[in-house]
Amino acid sequence: MSLDNLRDLYQQVILERYKKPRNRGKTDPVDRYQKGHNPSCGDTIELTLKFNEAGDRIDDVKFEGEGCAISMASADLMAEALRGRSPAEALEMVQKFQAMMRGEAEFPQEFRKLNVMQGVAQFPVRIKCANLSWHTLKAALELAQDAPEFVSNE
Amino acid sequence: MTFTQARTLAAQVRADFPILHQEIHGKPLVYLDNAATSQKPRVVLDALQEYYQSYNSNVHRGVHTLSAKATDAYEAARDKVAAFVNAAAREEIIYTRNASEAINLVAYAWGMNTLQPGDEIILTVMEHHSNLIPWQFVAQKTGAVLKFVELTKTQELDLDHFTSLLSDKTKLVAVVHVSNTLGCINPVEEMIALAHRYGAKVLVDACQSVPHMPIDVQAMDCDWLIASGHKMCAPTGIGFLYGKLNLLRAMPPFLGGGEMIADVFLDHSTYADVPHKFEAGTPAIAEAIGLGAAVDYLNGIGMDAIHAYEQELTTYLFQQLAQLPEVQTYGPRPNSRADNRAALASFTTGSVHPHDLSTILDQAGIAIRAGHHCTQPLHRYLGAQSTARASLYFYNTRDEIDTFIAALKEAIDFFGSIFG
Ligand SMILES: Cc1ncc(COP(=O)(O)O)c(C=O)c1O
Repeated sequence: MSLDNLRDLYQQVILERYKKPRNRGKTDPVDRYQKGHNPSCGDTIELTLKFNEAGDRIDDVKFEGEGCAISMASADLMAEALRGRSPAEALEMVQKFQAMMRGEAEFPQEFRKLNVMQGVAQFPVRIKCANLSWHTLKAALELAQDAPEFVSNE
Repeated sequence: MTFTQARTLAAQVRADFPILHQEIHGKPLVYLDNAATSQKPRVVLDALQEYYQSYNSNVHRGVHTLSAKATDAYEAARDKVAAFVNAAAREEIIYTRNASEAINLVAYAWGMNTLQPGDEIILTVMEHHSNLIPWQFVAQKTGAVLKFVELTKTQELDLDHFTSLLSDKTKLVAVVHVSNTLGCINPVEEMIALAHRYGAKVLVDACQSVPHMPIDVQAMDCDWLIASGHKMCAPTGIGFLYGKLNLLRAMPPFLGGGEMIADVFLDHSTYADVPHKFEAGTPAIAEAIGLGAAVDYLNGIGMDAIHAYEQELTTYLFQQLAQLPEVQTYGPRPNSRADNRAALASFTTGSVHPHDLSTILDQAGIAIRAGHHCTQPLHRYLGAQSTARASLYFYNTRDEIDTFIAALKEAIDFFGSIFG
């Protein structure tokens, strides 16, 4: 089997994060809570955020959920990258990530870990897996009035 | 066409399926997603081409030559389908877009107009969403109550539980014949006989049985039976509803429009007799003709031969899967004759998520399905968020099963290698 392509997709970091995630759980306290899912495949994520007192900085991010290696590793890496960022910065990162999935951008040095997800862009049907956590984050930050219980990433 | 015992059925038919002879990611295609849709033999593709090239025309509307020819072919296909499932009359076969539309037809035309608050509809926890959601609509609208048959320890339909749910309140039993996820073959004949004692009607979702084994609706004594053409070598966009004639006649129309009328006035209309009463608008003519060609093709091989060969494949598939301790399969294990289940295996592995597995196998040219296969409640019941599924048809070979098993093993090793 053409393992080379697959090694691009399933880089060691991704498999490690899938097996041993570092950011699973719930933040304490929970300042934002949002569920997201990919209805056609059944992947789900519950994202929780904790802000600083002023509410202008993300202090902690945790997730629970079930899904494939791509979706779960993506959530774990995202959680880490968001700590210490303002909500506005986080929303910019959402855009950057989605652009990366279209093969149009990559993250600068300080976020280089997120670039391991770049291989997913070569597998169009799996892009929604990588995007699930980021899409859910966007809903959590934008606090849309009419947001459904689950935001769908499809 | 004559089929010999000396060569496997697959070896004799593979040349009929142009699509099978290609490479995916540089590897020969191994198509194991037949429960989702089957491939089409050249005779079916030719029937579509011939229709559009030489007699494309609307049916039942013209007196000109082409229209007559199209009408004849369209109606001849209905005869073929009727004979294929041994319907008592050709009028008992209604063309629909797919199985889902056929179930909705019964749900709207019969369920919405017949059921009363407190009436009970018995379904099973293994139903495809297509045989669940229309009944949820009916229950919401009419106040009827849904009841669900559960599974035995071996993940088969629990007939005792079914029996205990039956009562005078039962008005409908809607049950899948062969589960597209568990692969079990449900004892529909027995269920129908039991349900009829209480005067309940029975709808059989035969999507996964009609393509794979001989079906006789009269012997089964079902009230309705539905199937999709695309899973039985026919094009997409065509399926059918079988219904007992007196029942179909008593049901009001489903969709209104051209073709389904007798006499139309500005404020009311009278309707055509069955089957046309249920076929509003220009139908899928080419697709119906394609379905007829598919039925001819399957008959040419023989449904008994197809079923017997698939039973051999089932035994082999499960023997090979059993060599991989990481793999957990769902539904009953095949018995010694493999006549208790279909040639498909839904499974999970300890380490590789079904979606990842599907991507990895795709790189090896192998097409399997990953997800909930439109049976989300069943997956919840089984405690599996999603499963991988390899589903076979009569053109699959033992070699393909070997290729699949080797790739599956490699995928498990690949994920395992990270952690040693
Ligand atoms: C058991 C069963 N029922 C119903 C369906 C629905 O068929 P269709 O999508 O062609 O309407 C399927 C196919 O997906 C099926 O496997």
